[in-house]
Amino acid sequence: METGFLRVLFEPGRFFEARMQDRPSLKIPALIAVVMGLIGAVSVIPMTDLTMAMLPAEMQGLGVIMTIIFAAFAFAGGFLAWIIYGFVFHLVSMIFKGQGDLERTMEFTGYGLLPQVFGGIIGTYFSYRLLSGLNVPPMTNPEQIAEFSENLVSVLATDPLAQIAGLVTILFTIWSANIWIFGMKYARNLSTRDAVLTVGIPVGLYILYMLITLAGWL
Amino acid sequence: MKPLNILIISLLCAAIAFIAPASAAPADVTVISSSLDPTVLMKGDTGTLTVVVQNNGADPVAIRNARLYGSGVVPLSDPYPSVGELGAGNSKTFTFTVRADGGEGTFYPQFVLDFRDAGSLRYPIPVQVENTPLSASVIAKPDAFAESRTADITVRVGNPRPNAASGVQVIPQGSGFTVTPTGGFIGALAPDASGMVTFNLTPAAETDVTFQVVWRNGINTHTADLVLPVAFGEDKKQADPVITNVEVTPIAGGYRIVGDVMNAGLESARSVLVTPGSPATPIDPFRVYVVGTLDPDDISSFEVTFKADAGVEEIPVIVEYRDDDGNRYTATTPVGLGGTTAAPLEEPEDGGFPVAGLLVVVLIALGVAGAIYYSWKRT
Repeated sequence: METGFLRVLFEPGRFFEARMQDRPSLKIPALIAVVMGLIGAVSVIPMTDLTMAMLPAEMQGLGVIMTIIFAAFAFAGGFLAWIIYGFVFHLVSMIFKGQGDLERTMEFTGYGLLPQVFGGIIGTYFSYRLLSGLNVPPMTNPEQIAEFSENLVSVLATDPLAQIAGLVTILFTIWSANIWIFGMKYARNLSTRDAVLTVGIPVGLYILYMLITLAGWL
Repeated sequence: MKPLNILIISLLCAAIAFIAPASAAPADVTVISSSLDPTVLMKGDTGTLTVVVQNNGADPVAIRNARLYGSGVVPLSDPYPSVGELGAGNSKTFTFTVRADGGEGTFYPQFVLDFRDAGSLRYPIPVQVENTPLSASVIAKPDAFAESRTADITVRVGNPRPNAASGVQVIPQGSGFTVTPTGGFIGALAPDASGMVTFNLTPAAETDVTFQVVWRNGINTHTADLVLPVAFGEDKKQADPVITNVEVTPIAGGYRIVGDVMNAGLESARSVLVTPGSPATPIDPFRVYVVGTLDPDDISSFEVTFKADAGVEEIPVIVEYRDDDGNRYTATTPVGLGGTTAAPLEEPEDGGFPVAGLLVVVLIALGVAGAIYYSWKRT
């Protein structure tokens, strides 16, 4: 099955094996991170609408600025996740005496983020569904805004849609982890067992954290 | 006159006196007793007057007739037109029906015996007429009445009359209430005696309840009314559920209210239910919270969940409870949702966990599992 870099989704072993024949390139991984960032930026729009509705009319300008800041952070979040995952995998693989440069690790980690693009799209849909159902009462002072924010957290925490979004995120993270295992196996020249541990330990901890959070919601 | 004539007349008289039967003098006939039933009449009453006469002489007395007359107490029955002889030592009873037509007081109708030979006997018989009725009073009733709440009413009937009353009953009359029993029977009441009867009265509206006391004086039926106004008010002892320590929390699809309900009254509140009232719409899992029985000073926590439209800032929390008689009461406490609380999310169409979302999760899980399986198979 020759479908370009999308092949990494279903044949990560063969894809990374083939990629090892070429020089490391971060273009496509960076593109994936950009798409992730854009999706993240889009996903904050409903929340930004909510924030704008909370603010008094004279503070709408501040709302615009906050929207831009939120979107920028969300966009950067895609790159941040790529960098953090890549460094963590590189460091953990050192424990197993992994060999290979960081650039290759970053390249393969970036490819592994591809499933999370789909997860981001679905998560954004759920976020939109979740937040569009909210009606925001008019507020005139910071105390009311703070109270509303607390209540909003309580509402969102108990909503089934939020739990579904969390489960979707976990599922796509597992898919990414599977790709990363193959990626680390070739990028860091690890045995399958060591690659599983390299990826499984940090990702497993992350998923555990998410599950605990979800259980707290339940 | 010649002596012979005088002798003849004397012999004749002696012969007549010897041949003719002996006859006692009217003075030997006396009234030995008289009685009236009932012993004391009320105005308009009919009674029975009985007179007993006795011949105390040694010879029979011929009586032509016996009659009674008078004013205030008048005879209704006919006189005895032909009585006949009353033997020596015998007695005879005469009975008259009389009616008290006058006012109160003591009347003396005349009993008259006309003797056939000469003279008559007149005997005034005292008859007492007193209009004092039986007295009735309410000796026990609740501090206040409430609609559909059963109240115990105790009525005491006393007899201030000088004679006994028989067949005494108390019958509640009126509309706008139900009562059990529908009548209370006391029976005979001696002078200065009293009897009690208790009714369970359940008013449906403010009304006047008339307790009619019915009794008989001899063969005469009399009534006396006791009116009890039934006005609704607040019972000082009734249960008083108070809601405190309220905490409102927005949840998905609505709000949750947790708090405490305490009985600040002096009577138990039974079958206590806590529900959110309109404009709130109860939702699962706590559409209604059943507290059960709350004794005085008891406290219980409760939790209700509901949804409300955006803009609703306050909803009533309704406490329903019953008293010992099963009467239902409600107490309403307004609870503010807060002007800044997050309006609830739209409830899922199926009212629970979104099935479509769950389906998406399952499909994604299957897809991810398939991708992982395929990737390892193709290694």
